[in-house]
Amino acid sequence: MTTITDRNPSDITQSAPLRPIGSITDMCLACGACAAGCPITGISGFDPRKIVRMVLLGRDSELIDSPLPWLCTMCGKCEHACPMGINIVNIIRTARGMVEREKVPGMIHKGVALGLETGNNLGLPEDDFRFIIEDVAEELAGEPGYEDFSVPFDKKGANLLHTLHNKLVNTQNEDLVHWWKIFHVAGEDWTLPSVNWEGVNWGLFSGDDAAMKVFVERIVEHMERLEIKNLMYPE
Amino acid sequence: MQKWFPEFFDKYGAFTVFDLLVDYLKSGRIKIDKTMITQRAAYHDPCNYCRKSEEMFGHGYYEEPRWILGQCVSDWVDLFPSKANQYCCGGGGGTLLTPFKEERIHYGRKKIEQIRRCGAEMIILPCHSCHGQIKALLAENEIDHIPVKYLWEVVADALVIK
Repeated sequence: MTTITDRNPSDITQSAPLRPIGSITDMCLACGACAAGCPITGISGFDPRKIVRMVLLGRDSELIDSPLPWLCTMCGKCEHACPMGINIVNIIRTARGMVEREKVPGMIHKGVALGLETGNNLGLPEDDFRFIIEDVAEELAGEPGYEDFSVPFDKKGANLLHTLHNKLVNTQNEDLVHWWKIFHVAGEDWTLPSVNWEGVNWGLFSGDDAAMKVFVERIVEHMERLEIKNLMYPE
Repeated sequence: MQKWFPEFFDKYGAFTVFDLLVDYLKSGRIKIDKTMITQRAAYHDPCNYCRKSEEMFGHGYYEEPRWILGQCVSDWVDLFPSKANQYCCGGGGGTLLTPFKEERIHYGRKKIEQIRRCGAEMIILPCHSCHGQIKALLAENEIDHIPVKYLWEVVADALVIK
């Protein structure tokens, strides 16, 4: 039997991972439950049902060249509503991955490129990173109950590895202390890497699996290098 | 990690923010003073810890954060709808990093409705993207007297210091 995707080949449907239920895009009923569940349907031409139609008709380049993949928040409400189990979010993420890297809007790819090169999405040098962390740690040590607090960088044999979201190091320094307080009071034996400390993996958003793997691998390297027992998954 | 480095799990343990907080609280390693937070708080489920985690890993973190909240806050409520049917804040998927701000704020209109309906005086959530987006939404709607806090921030704020 010739299916609609045989007639209209699509690289996106070929490479987008299926959901656990394994439904291929051909099974779309065009019922519109996805569009009804999606809070951005109708905004700037976005509609998950239309996106599924586009790839079913083999119109990959039309999707890839449009801003549509980038308007999606990948929240998964469309898939949650889909009676056929279509992999709508992965279709969109795969389309993102097929966009030329320099055409990826905003900071997503720029952050990935900086992260690959420098170990964090801000491109912050190690000295500056240590300065910020030590400055905030010193301030916390001024509070009652935290007098002997300090941040244990690269501690060999620690129980727990912690990584950081770059925004805490950048503009929201005041939010660094929450986990530090909890670790201190719990008597946790934790550590923070002084390089490659980035806990955010923007390859997830940019559709870049190769970059995503590099960031995950860096966490594995920390665990091996510092002989750490447990990982706290990045927040 | 499961996909690229499955052998990782033979050598190391791995914990989510929820696993750690539940463990610290249940084992008594940290103690909480529940009277520190007096406002009515509403809990927002991030897509990735809920719907997407349930789909990818077979477990959605619905109950753990609610249990933790119950330990730290005396008056907290759910938004409606909640858990797997929760509305996305509109800040996911990297949209905070793109120039499509107008679309992003419009997307969040449902979140603002949910917040207004439940009478929350504080929003608690465990996600950096949701935090940035909901703060922006509250400011755009001129209700930014409502603070937005991380789940672990509430725990840290209510810690009993030995």
